[in-house]
Amino acid sequence: MLAYTVRRILVSVPVLIVSTFVVFLVVVNSGDPVANFATSRQPAPSKAAVAAFARHIHADQPVVERYWNWITGVLHGDFGPSVQSNLDIGHDLFTRFRVTVTLVAAAMIIALLLAVLFGVFSAIRQYSVADYVITFVGFLFLAMPVFWFAVLLKQAGIRFNESTGSQFLGTIGEKSPYLDVDTAWNEFTDRIGHLVLPTITLALVSFASWTRYTRASMLEVLSSDYVRLARAKGLRRGKVMTRHALRTALIPLTTVTALDIAIILGGAVVTETIFQWHGMGEMLVQAATTVDVYRTMAWLLLSAVVVIGFNLVADLLYAVLDPRIRYD
Amino acid sequence: MRAHSSALARGITLAAGLTLVLAACSSGGGGGSGKGGSAGLSSCGAQGNANTCNSAPTKSGGTFTYTLEKNIQQWNVQDSNGNTFENGETLGVVLPQVFVPQPDFSVALNTDLVTSATQTSTSPQTFVYKINPKASWNDGTPITADDFVYYWRTNNGKDCPPPPASDASQTKGCLPQSTAGYDRIKSVTGSDGGRTVTVVMAKPFSDWKQLFGAGYPLFPAHVAEKLSGATAGDAAHMTAAQMTQGWQYFQKTPPSKYATAGPYKMQDWTDNDHATYVPDPKWWGVHKPTLQRLVFKVITDATQEPTALRNNEVQGIYPQPEVDLVNQIKDIPNVTYTIGSGLTWEHFDLNLHNPVLGAYPALRQAMFTAISIKDIVSKTVGQFDPKVKQLGSHNYVPGQAGYQDLVTSTGQGSGDLTKARKYLTDARFTGVGTALKSPDGKTVGPFNCRYTTGNQIRQSECQILQSDLANLGIKVTIKPIGAADLGTVLTGHQYDIIVFAWVASPFPSANAQQNWVTGGGGNYGGYSNKQVDQLVAQAVGEPDSTKAATLLNQADSIMVKDAYVLPLYQKPTFLAVQSRFVNMRDNATNVGPPYNTAEWGLKK
Repeated sequence: MLAYTVRRILVSVPVLIVSTFVVFLVVVNSGDPVANFATSRQPAPSKAAVAAFARHIHADQPVVERYWNWITGVLHGDFGPSVQSNLDIGHDLFTRFRVTVTLVAAAMIIALLLAVLFGVFSAIRQYSVADYVITFVGFLFLAMPVFWFAVLLKQAGIRFNESTGSQFLGTIGEKSPYLDVDTAWNEFTDRIGHLVLPTITLALVSFASWTRYTRASMLEVLSSDYVRLARAKGLRRGKVMTRHALRTALIPLTTVTALDIAIILGGAVVTETIFQWHGMGEMLVQAATTVDVYRTMAWLLLSAVVVIGFNLVADLLYAVLDPRIRYD
Repeated sequence: MRAHSSALARGITLAAGLTLVLAACSSGGGGGSGKGGSAGLSSCGAQGNANTCNSAPTKSGGTFTYTLEKNIQQWNVQDSNGNTFENGETLGVVLPQVFVPQPDFSVALNTDLVTSATQTSTSPQTFVYKINPKASWNDGTPITADDFVYYWRTNNGKDCPPPPASDASQTKGCLPQSTAGYDRIKSVTGSDGGRTVTVVMAKPFSDWKQLFGAGYPLFPAHVAEKLSGATAGDAAHMTAAQMTQGWQYFQKTPPSKYATAGPYKMQDWTDNDHATYVPDPKWWGVHKPTLQRLVFKVITDATQEPTALRNNEVQGIYPQPEVDLVNQIKDIPNVTYTIGSGLTWEHFDLNLHNPVLGAYPALRQAMFTAISIKDIVSKTVGQFDPKVKQLGSHNYVPGQAGYQDLVTSTGQGSGDLTKARKYLTDARFTGVGTALKSPDGKTVGPFNCRYTTGNQIRQSECQILQSDLANLGIKVTIKPIGAADLGTVLTGHQYDIIVFAWVASPFPSANAQQNWVTGGGGNYGGYSNKQVDQLVAQAVGEPDSTKAATLLNQADSIMVKDAYVLPLYQKPTFLAVQSRFVNMRDNATNVGPPYNTAEWGLKK
């Protein structure tokens, strides 16, 4: 297992290098941040300031040299200069990653639990009223645009606050800028209050697709010969479901959730924007719209590492879930 | 039938929505103004009270949270990188400036900082500033001529020059946002123990009131001297390296970390989130803040601001208005708002590098005359602000002392097709109204009209232009510009016609020099007229502001005839605050509504 893990990590290095180089070329050629700098301010910056800006972001260097300097810099913890003066890209990256993880973690756990619970229940009670209801709800959330659902939730949150005369539910940011009574408990509840709405948004959207996977996978397993055999041999229904059927049914869900979580960690762009969590999604949007090459690359690098990492975790989980799989 | 019903329903809904908005706007733009006391922001639409509307006495306490639409990475607003609206708003609360731009676009002397600022001689042009004897930084160091000397020397482009090309980090030098005026100063000297500052100009400068302020406040020289190892109180002898150290320090350091001199002090700054201010007990000024706390909260998506206001997470917002946004605010109880006319103005520019557009002034005049600005306004911003009308100047906006409507009388922007066609036939163009050909028989166009992608208003503006110019036989294709590509398109002259916005200024000479003079930094379309160059240069050096305005207007008349840029309208601005707070006003200049935070407070 260890050898497999090391081998997988080593294989991912050239993948990272090639993908970052391709993206670097694309981003460098997608716009001209120097021209933007020269035209976006009033009064227009002097020629000396424009030249200094170009040198600062290395726009005066050949692309290959820039890439080489960037990749070697990253190995030393230097993510390169941003078009935003004074922005430490490394610090920005990890701060935003923490914000996104905070936003996503609870939502993903809740979504996963709900998806497994309702997916299995739906499969066991196929074509029952409960199955139809769960299926309907699943498709409803699947079809619902996040930007719309999140806005509705915000309005509901505001109504809740107005009806209770409190300000428990926050609609922007991860916490209030100040607390009237600054205690640890108040800070905790303030943070929870800010997490509720974006967590529900993310959880329900992810739950919708995952519950469909669980149901489909569970149905397939339930109709397989070995499950029928287990039941025929007189094993208890609960034991068959948990020990035999569910374990197998979780394998495809593992792949899907691992990839989904990795992608969401790269930035739940819409949710972050609507709830004003300054996470990875906002970073990508800002970097792209300002043609901030090194900031885009930093985002890409971390996102790629997360995707590779979660894929690896998914592969390793296969071995746990399916005793036939061994990575030797 | 179903589609028809749906379209009908949408149409009725839209019409009802628009009717409501128009009704609200025509009543003065006020939401619920609360019970009694101040009339709220709804009174700000009336003529002549922009600087005094929404006034009322305040009582102690309360927290007011105002929104910033961008994070602040760079804290030196005097630097070309740090020159952002949000930075100016944030620093203006804690750092002093001599003249402060007001809501009516005039400038007012900040008597908390200087009791007088007068021009004592015109040859050489000399100004004397008398510093308020009580004025001091909150670490106890008095504000003196040394702070003015430091300001001048870091901003004149000579004493602290830009970083050399050999500096890989590009941090070893000063890059001021503008050296205008400071590069014309001969000397800045102190007397009366540093409490009188005398500035002698080497060359006259008409916009002298923008020196040492107008959105670009003073930084504490003694802080820069101390950290760079320079002699205290001797900014006149600081080396370039020492000044660079100070410059860099103020770039990287939020003002919570050094001595400031405002009604509030910044208590803390949380990157990408908020700044918290509390009243500064050392403040000597006339208006003592009554708020317990002032917060500037970063909300980078304007569409989220109304819900934040409704949920009482913020108490004041200043976004770009749109129909939906105005509607949302209207529905929030106990919120007062105003739609104002800002300094930002929308315009069509022609690229004179295009050989046909560059060669025939008559063609340009005809194009501008065929465009109906009335149509453009009614189909765009007029939907939520019926006050918007055609702008008649390239340098001033209505309300500024120098404003003269020089455009309307020429017929430009009128949509007068007869007049437009006459320009063309008189200049021996053929195919007018069908397929226009120049006097030498070449097909005119097709031209592209470029706008920033996603900007629905500008897309509509290009579409109306397309339809208007088709009446002359000119084909126009509409081509969006990528969100990050406006700069590339402008500097690379990758357009025939482009629509975007400029920000006018209480000090228009510098803008005119940049935008209209041959080779100017903002003259992207390649306009060149020696007479205009001469008149603008004279205006910049004219000590009398009335004469300077006359010169600029003379230059503008020539520009209008040359038909290079067609001003469309002033973009509306929008300020909404909870009506339990008072003394906030729409200040569309570079200092923004926080120009008077000392007066903000809970209504008594």
